Amino acid sequence: MKRLLRPALLLFTSRFTPPVVVGIFLLAYIGIAFFTEDALIALMELTRHSAVLVGLLALLPLNALGRVATELRAVLARRRALSGSGEPCAELFDERVELSGSCDFDDLKQRFAGLGYRTRQAEGSLGAWRGISGSPARLILLAGSFCLFLGILISLTARNSSRGALIEGEPLPAPSGNGGVVERIRLAEAPGLILSKSLEMRVAPLGRSAGATYGIYPPGRHQGAYVYPRYLGIAAYLQFSAPDLPQGYQTHTVLNIYPPGKDAALEVPNSPYRFVVSMPEPADGSDPYATGRMGIQFKLFKGKDALFSGSVPAGGELVRDGYRVAFPDLRRMVITDFIEDYGVQFIWAAGGLYCLALLAWLPALCLRRREVLFVRREPGLILACSRSEGQGMAHGGIFNEALDLMESRNP
Amino acid sequence: MLLKLLPHFLSWAGIVLVLLRAFPARRPVCAALGSAGFAAGVAAVCFLLRAFPGDLAFGIFRGMMGGSLLLLWFVSVVAVYRSTTRDFAAPRGGGVTDGPAFAGACSIAAGVLAGAVCACRVSGGGPGSLPFLLLVPAAAALAFALLPLEARLPGSLTLSRTALVAPVVALLLFSSSSLLRLDLFAPLSMKVMKFAHDFVHQFMESMLFPDHFFIRSYLWGYIGLLFGEGVGFWGALVIWFTPVALVLLALQLERLPSVAHIRQGARRRKLLATALGERRRRLVIPLLSLAVFGGAAYQSRYPSVEYWDPKPLAVAATPAGEIVIPKKGDVDLQDGRLHKYLYKQGAKEARFFVLMGPSGHFTVDLDACAICKPDGYGQAEGTVICYYCKTLIPLETVGRAGGCNPVPINFTEKEDGIHLDALALINEWGNTVQTTTKVKEGGK
Amino acid sequence: MATIETTGLTRSYGDICALKPIDLSVPEGEWLSVMGHSGSGKSTLMNLVGGLDRPSAGSLKVGGEDLLALSEDGLARFRREYVGIIFQQHHLVPYLSSLENVMLAQYFHSVPDEAEARSALERVGLGHRLKNRPGELSGGEQQRVCIARAIINSPKLLLGDEPTGNLDSKSTVMVMELLRELRAEEKFTVIMVTHNEDVAAWGDRTIYLSDGVLVREERLGIS
Repeated sequence: MKRLLRPALLLFTSRFTPPVVVGIFLLAYIGIAFFTEDALIALMELTRHSAVLVGLLALLPLNALGRVATELRAVLARRRALSGSGEPCAELFDERVELSGSCDFDDLKQRFAGLGYRTRQAEGSLGAWRGISGSPARLILLAGSFCLFLGILISLTARNSSRGALIEGEPLPAPSGNGGVVERIRLAEAPGLILSKSLEMRVAPLGRSAGATYGIYPPGRHQGAYVYPRYLGIAAYLQFSAPDLPQGYQTHTVLNIYPPGKDAALEVPNSPYRFVVSMPEPADGSDPYATGRMGIQFKLFKGKDALFSGSVPAGGELVRDGYRVAFPDLRRMVITDFIEDYGVQFIWAAGGLYCLALLAWLPALCLRRREVLFVRREPGLILACSRSEGQGMAHGGIFNEALDLMESRNP
Repeated sequence: MLLKLLPHFLSWAGIVLVLLRAFPARRPVCAALGSAGFAAGVAAVCFLLRAFPGDLAFGIFRGMMGGSLLLLWFVSVVAVYRSTTRDFAAPRGGGVTDGPAFAGACSIAAGVLAGAVCACRVSGGGPGSLPFLLLVPAAAALAFALLPLEARLPGSLTLSRTALVAPVVALLLFSSSSLLRLDLFAPLSMKVMKFAHDFVHQFMESMLFPDHFFIRSYLWGYIGLLFGEGVGFWGALVIWFTPVALVLLALQLERLPSVAHIRQGARRRKLLATALGERRRRLVIPLLSLAVFGGAAYQSRYPSVEYWDPKPLAVAATPAGEIVIPKKGDVDLQDGRLHKYLYKQGAKEARFFVLMGPSGHFTVDLDACAICKPDGYGQAEGTVICYYCKTLIPLETVGRAGGCNPVPINFTEKEDGIHLDALALINEWGNTVQTTTKVKEGGK
Repeated sequence: MATIETTGLTRSYGDICALKPIDLSVPEGEWLSVMGHSGSGKSTLMNLVGGLDRPSAGSLKVGGEDLLALSEDGLARFRREYVGIIFQQHHLVPYLSSLENVMLAQYFHSVPDEAEARSALERVGLGHRLKNRPGELSGGEQQRVCIARAIINSPKLLLGDEPTGNLDSKSTVMVMELLRELRAEEKFTVIMVTHNEDVAAWGDRTIYLSDGVLVREERLGIS
């Protein structure tokens, strides 16, 4: 058991684990790219269905967590050592040297204080430090990595998505059943730098459930699922009759024809008739979806032959040559995805943590952390330790100067 | 032919010099094994071209070049981690990498790839032709001639085991980038572009970002940059240069020797100065490698290959709506070259080409593919190249739909020539160009 | 073992013989004063021993190294690592502070180390004048900066060419006492060129040159 524990601990705390895991996925991507154009999607699918790859991916957040623990342990141990209450282990410092000498720590303390170091003298030890440690930035970065990889893992393996059409006046097509009735869909111009439009989908309360309003971004939640509006369109009720189709044909249909200029095809089943529909652009340049003044422009085909084309406003009809085309009802519709994905929050949190880590790291970059520690061992023997983040040649000079001083005072 | 082989032999000379400098105790052995590897590479290409005519030989060695770049990435990442980890367990340059087997393996591997590239360069003359036969003796003579020259180079110009991989891979890629079918940079750009496109798309969907309709056009313009050819180029440059940059970083971050045990200031400083000087000198060869990588990317981007790209000849349709192109007339369709044509119908036009493939069968295709902007195609070195994304399509596969292949058009081959439907041609061109224009603009 | 061994050491400039063949032996750690009138060859001898010039004839070994066998690069290395020089004119860089002047010597030797340079200036009693430029220092202080600069690289041989020539008597004594203390600590060999008997008396031995010839040798000295 112990033999397994050590490599496992190494895997969960080693700095090498992330590049190795990322390297494996990269090689997998390269291999897949030889066989398909959609290599990334194929890799994601493969990962979803492969326990080995999921396990590998799970190593990343676990490793980040392990490294947070190791880093915290090192920070606390170094703090204790500098305050004189802990043992200065070899891995805590860059340099460790024992020299014979007797030194008045008061003198050293004054010397370091004069050089801008903060000092702490305890019984038999003197610690001095200056600058800002990069440890907080590293901890935040590791926390961000944990959130990021955990979010990716959850998103990849546990994301459920269903698509439905939100139509004004119709029940909300939520995966968990009836969540209310879509009362109103409103589109308007939006001020702001990022979004050009605002979309408001108001759902009336049903029974005990409270009503809700869903927008574009950030997406609202309905029973744990994100309400993610994708495309705007029209829900139309079509009535069609033709000389050779006297019984007529009527259907409710969803047409992805917004913004104006997009075409959609609509086949009349068991007949040679086919419509190609689009939304006409109003002459005044207004947005029909926003104003609600919607119409349908259509071309009617019988087989390959175009019979005629026309334009019908909402509630209107067109009768010609024995053909009748009517759209008694045109309503606003939003194709919406309902997505259950708890990884999204983690990924956003990771972004925030990375920004925070950068902010925390910048001052540490300018004022690099330098530490020295002197501990009296046996009489006449002093253990001197030094650590600097970054190359720290100037700090090395100060440390060596202090050692020279101690040695010169060796009787 | 000599001029064409010059960059390859210059690269081979550079590789030999690097190997000799990296393994000073085994210089003659490295020269000999390198030459043997070179011969093996030439022989392998010769065998593959004879046994499997077509693109297989090029595909295998291009794959091996890609493998060498991956190896450099691996070595550079390990080097950075080793430099920044105090308690890295692996010995620095000791053990395996000091042994004769390592020197021999490096020399042979480098020789095989260098020989294969040279052989691919002269493959146009056919395996067994005179240039082929002269390659190996010339390379061996060069390798041994460099022995005394390398001894005259400054002794302070040293090379660590890690840094050895960088110049060797750089020179191999420089050598291969002058050959269209071995070039890695152009297909890398294409793959990066595709990856960036897929990644951005997936990321935006995963993060529930609104569709482009809801986003301000100026912002979508910036996002649209990520879908363009530029991101492929710059992304490929990052992948191209980063390993050497990491090697340089690893050398810079290497810890200086500890001097805390020395009590005399001058001695301490002398030790540090010596270590700093050695470190600086070890940067020279990786810096030169960076320049060589730059040269390889430049060669790929601006190849000195002349593409066969004839001006499209105007054609008209018969009253029945058919376009007929005689097999022999102003041009000989059976000459194995690309022949381009332009058909206009009112305001609409379509560009297409006719090509007789190596199998002796004709193919008629649009001068555009289903993915890229319709910049058209050229022909060189047994391939057809898409001008937009620089993808090489072997002549044997032209006529098959998919990927960056030109869109095939239905046609009939009759006694009097090639017959194709004008309306179908116009419609196919219209559908293809409309789609690729949308791709260019970006969006979901 | 002798630090300096010369046999028939000669230096000529065309027809002018600045130094006639000289045989000289200076043991390790000795303070040798070199006296003579102007043009007697004192500075020539010092330049040859310090590797600043090449002899026309004879042999010259310093610290076991045959200086005649060294290349220009070798001589430069020898000067950097083995020799420290204090000039009468100081030759401090006027736009650099005292600390920077000392660090400049470190730079040419190996790498600069501010802490060590500071220590050296504190040792010569100028710990409070680190940031002052030479123009802001007295003659004695400038000479002490020179001493710090000369000894910072732990030379085995310290050469002084009339180091107290421009100083008053009080400063002269201060500088000489400092040199004596440093020699006791660092154990280097000193060759001091001077035409001042009082300054020469600080050495273990004094040699007299006249027209390029070693005419007399005395063992005097209060050091």
